[in-house]
Amino acid sequence: MRAAADAATTFEVPDDLEAINRLYRERRWGDGLPIIPPTAERVERMLCGTPRARHDLVAKIAPGYGAATVERIAVNAVLAGCEPEYLPLLIAATGAVAEPQFNLQGMQATTNPVAVWLVINGPVAQRLGVNATFNCIGQGAWANATIGRAMRLILQNIGGALPGEMDRATHGQPAKYTFCCAENEAANPWEPLHVERGYARGESTVTVVGAEGTMNMNTHAKAGAELARVIAETMVHPPSNEYVHGGEPWLILSTEHADIFKRMGWSKNDVKRELWERSKMRAGRLSAKEMERARASRTEELGSLTADTMLPISTSPDHVYFVVAGGPGTHSVYVPCFGNTRAVTRAVGD
Amino acid sequence: MTKRGKAGVTVCSTAFETLGRAQARALGNAGLPIAVIPHPFGSRTREEVREIAQKCAEQIAALVSEGAK
Repeated sequence: MRAAADAATTFEVPDDLEAINRLYRERRWGDGLPIIPPTAERVERMLCGTPRARHDLVAKIAPGYGAATVERIAVNAVLAGCEPEYLPLLIAATGAVAEPQFNLQGMQATTNPVAVWLVINGPVAQRLGVNATFNCIGQGAWANATIGRAMRLILQNIGGALPGEMDRATHGQPAKYTFCCAENEAANPWEPLHVERGYARGESTVTVVGAEGTMNMNTHAKAGAELARVIAETMVHPPSNEYVHGGEPWLILSTEHADIFKRMGWSKNDVKRELWERSKMRAGRLSAKEMERARASRTEELGSLTADTMLPISTSPDHVYFVVAGGPGTHSVYVPCFGNTRAVTRAVGD
Repeated sequence: MTKRGKAGVTVCSTAFETLGRAQARALGNAGLPIAVIPHPFGSRTREEVREIAQKCAEQIAALVSEGAK
């Protein structure tokens, strides 16, 4: 598709970093951090990262439905500090967030703090240096930081989701600046996420997740059942979109925790089933208003809800997802999702 | 709906008015009639909701009549 009418606009500005950043601040074209000026030369260099034509339309981005052309994605990639070789990954991620099941309209305009989490699998992760080990969702890795940041700038600058305007988040969350990591496939005792989601092991993919936050779980549990119990008890929380709508909870399992499950002989599906069963919550724990919302959302799935109904966190164990990532340590992370969203995985092209 | 000759009015709370108007502009319908109710809405008593609904109905009627002119 071609969208020549949506070509990026150029501005003549003084060649001065502070002045350019001032302009970006005044026009609200940034995320609050200093930007790399997207000069014509830098954008051209960025575009060398893909064989795709600059005016190809990748997606329309809600809620403003701005045209995410390859060129506009490249401009935001420059702003964020990306290298040209990151561009195909950003193009794939932009296509993924626009898939209807991801519900970008809901996510971009909600009061919920939901952020877009990018999970990278396959050879591209290592090639680009996307961190999957120590501090993988923290600071320090150029690829993680700038790819996640570029995604946010695409959502804001092309999608029009400016805080306080179309982005109605009550508080937001730090992950709205950047949230990107790779799966630690070498230390994953099961098949990696992208294989589980239908891709070949040698393919490169990006998975986009509507993440409501991150909750660390530090446990020295050594038995699979006990580990599953404490993780499941963390997942249970009454003011949760997941129990109201039937969500898609995500976990970042540390390699040590994944190994405990594996040593017990549990498959990935066994872990999912165990967490799903153990995280069922008595509906009476919801507030009266949330009970009304859950009835509106889940009666078709679960029948009439009473206070004694045991609500599953998702419609089936298959919708409990986890990636294995992080360095050594007894920490795993619960990533509750927005509720009305389903993650999308896309192959990363050339 | 308006394009199909039907009267259409969007109702939203004050907290979402900016979003509603910005999105209407973005989608090429800057003149979209929007009736605005006070925010928050969920914590109101039945009496308060009735009062809000009454005022909102008047607002909707006014917006529809305006659109018909």
